[in-house]
Amino acid sequence: MDRPEDRRALIELLDRDGRARRTLDVLAWPVTLGRALDNTWVLDDPHVAPHHATLGTAADGRVLLQVGGSRNGVQLGRQLLQAGAQVVLPADGAVLGIGGLRLRLRLPTSPLAPETLLARPLVAGRTLWAMLAAWGLIQALHRWVQLDPGADWVQWLPWLLGLPGGLAVWCGLWALGSKLFRHGFEFGSHAAIALAWLLAYEAVDLLLPNAGAALGWPWLWQAYHQWGLPLLAMLLVRAHLRQLLPQRGGAINISLALVLVAGIAVNLAVNLRQLGRVFGDPYMSTLPPPALRWGGTQPVQAMDAALLPLRGALQQQAREASEDDGDNDGNPP
Amino acid sequence: MRAAGLALVLAAAQTVAHAAGASAPTLPEPAASVAQAAASAPASTAVSGTGQRIYADMRPRLLQVRTLLKTQDSQSSVGSAFLVTPEGHLITNYHVVSSYALAPQRHRLVYATVDGKQGALELLAFDVLHDLALLRPVDPAPLRGRGAVPFRPSEGPGSEPERGARIFSLGNPLDVGFAVTEGAYNGLAERHYLPTLFFGGSLSAGMSGGPALDAQGRLVGVNVAARRDGEQVSFLVPAALAQALLVRGRDARPITQPVHAEIERQLLAHQAALVDTFIAQPWRPAGHPRYRIPVPMETFARCWGSGAPAATRGLVFERSDCTMDSAVYIDERLRTGSIGVRHETYDGSRLGWLRFQQRYNASFHNESVGGRDGHRVAAQCTERTVETGGGLPLRAVVCLQAYKKLPQLFDLTVLTASLDSTEAGVQGRLDAQGLSFDNAQRLTRHYLEGYGWTAPKTAVR
Repeated sequence: MDRPEDRRALIELLDRDGRARRTLDVLAWPVTLGRALDNTWVLDDPHVAPHHATLGTAADGRVLLQVGGSRNGVQLGRQLLQAGAQVVLPADGAVLGIGGLRLRLRLPTSPLAPETLLARPLVAGRTLWAMLAAWGLIQALHRWVQLDPGADWVQWLPWLLGLPGGLAVWCGLWALGSKLFRHGFEFGSHAAIALAWLLAYEAVDLLLPNAGAALGWPWLWQAYHQWGLPLLAMLLVRAHLRQLLPQRGGAINISLALVLVAGIAVNLAVNLRQLGRVFGDPYMSTLPPPALRWGGTQPVQAMDAALLPLRGALQQQAREASEDDGDNDGNPP
Repeated sequence: MRAAGLALVLAAAQTVAHAAGASAPTLPEPAASVAQAAASAPASTAVSGTGQRIYADMRPRLLQVRTLLKTQDSQSSVGSAFLVTPEGHLITNYHVVSSYALAPQRHRLVYATVDGKQGALELLAFDVLHDLALLRPVDPAPLRGRGAVPFRPSEGPGSEPERGARIFSLGNPLDVGFAVTEGAYNGLAERHYLPTLFFGGSLSAGMSGGPALDAQGRLVGVNVAARRDGEQVSFLVPAALAQALLVRGRDARPITQPVHAEIERQLLAHQAALVDTFIAQPWRPAGHPRYRIPVPMETFARCWGSGAPAATRGLVFERSDCTMDSAVYIDERLRTGSIGVRHETYDGSRLGWLRFQQRYNASFHNESVGGRDGHRVAAQCTERTVETGGGLPLRAVVCLQAYKKLPQLFDLTVLTASLDSTEAGVQGRLDAQGLSFDNAQRLTRHYLEGYGWTAPKTAVR
């Protein structure tokens, strides 16, 4: 383009990812679109009519769309324009569906979206390797704790092969998703996301249950096991999805939040119905080591008082369950 | 785990349908063990002349009791029974008629005599603890004039047969036909909280509720159960209890409503006595150098021990598991009224504290508490760190479960874990079924107070 000031408009042919595949500089109106060779822009698509549409100027200078002799018509937003229709297009441009193609009309008056930042890996290079090493060490420590002293080295193998393999497969699948939607494999980005969240999980998993045990707060332990773990898993998936579909951040947040809330609600309803309590685990099963026993102790007699509230609650549940069972023992309900 | 293979000798529908060899739902053992028991039976059932006489005498007084669904004629359970009065009162096991007792609107009871007479029965009284029921025919005429099985005198010299005396058990095993089985009288079964006679003969499903008689044809006991993991280890309810039930219930009005309230009353009395006796006993020392651990006396519990192999490089542990042999049958899926105590001691000195803590936690995590089932709602727990026996810190989880139809009764589970050491510990568990709330509290306290330090080192052997 020698003289950009002569450009009246730009028409872009969009590909399936919404990027411009071909563009047409409009230097003069009207522009005719169709499959025939005498059109300004020849559109080779079997669903396009020989003379499908014409873009011209209306009396007030705005762009006017005239639909030609087409059986498929032109899709404008949610509106399907039949053959012969005339519509003045908005001043900020429009996307037209012509046959199987999408054309975006950009006008000098169209607003420009701000520059989008490139999606860069969370961390890369040395930091990524350091995170991998940290995670590997933590896993090795877990395995070491599980194995008895002097255990056969063979018992390390499933761990040594399985965990890195699992991580690689996880990141690989997300990277394939990136390839599909963003045309880049992005393994490193997904590995950074996975490792960051796995390390966060290790930290939280060490801290919260032990804090619950140390302080004698079963509710903290219970809440972590019931809600904390699904929440962490959800956050991990969210981070991967946002890497995959950066423009869909809002939709991702909303859908994952809905899934999480629905899952928690269903779990809560089932627990209340089946167990008569909020938490699925009946008791806190992490025991504090002596140095962390900060919760203090109570005399044995305190158990008497602690049991009291259970009595009424259980009898109430038993009464309700018995009523639910209805007539099955021949009692009138 | 050592599971007592105690099976009630009740033929339920399935057993009859699959004929010989199949095990009834109340017989948890594989068919093989039943078959073994059956194979060994002929040797001892070569009935003597006395047996022939007894069978001939008792034939008219022997009946089969069937529990049928009201809407159809298929039987839900079959057992045996015998006449105890000339008017036609008959005794059988509670578990033979439990479906009727719990849901009389849906079931009916019928008898069949050896000579093929049939008729309807009504339930007068029952003793759920000792598994006895007293019934009466709706129309006494067909059972009149058949006489009654006499009771052995329950007091005075000679009230008990000699150990090893031959006794004869009658009934209708597996609904095959009326039969007499000969065996030895072995006195009261040891370590049974509820008095139970040990009969050295075979009892099969369907013989439940039949009479066991001495050589003079007098009632010694009522057939009730057999161990399927042994041979010819069977149990009888002592005759005196049947006699007491007869005295108590002979003029009672027939039962037409579900009997949960009466079951609850009997269980409450049972648990009151049981918990009093249990708490009155001192705990037995577990012999651990560091911890004082509550282990029940073996007066009516049996304890089994096991441990880690000596050569282990991992966690060194020892386990003790004490259970009562007596449990009260309520229905096919529910037994209650029993106490069990177990513990495991851990020594992690070969592991180091990090590994020990992981295994110690995992072991504490492993315990299950009662879930919701047909009879009970799911357990609710409360947990505290308590200090017991001179300052031993103990994590204690106490769970209660309530019965839908027995509102005064609870099942109790207490889990404990000592919190004093990074490389050693003891974890324990107490289970008791069918307790009043007050007794659940008492037993919890008693159990927790059973923990502590052993005496100072200088005083130890």
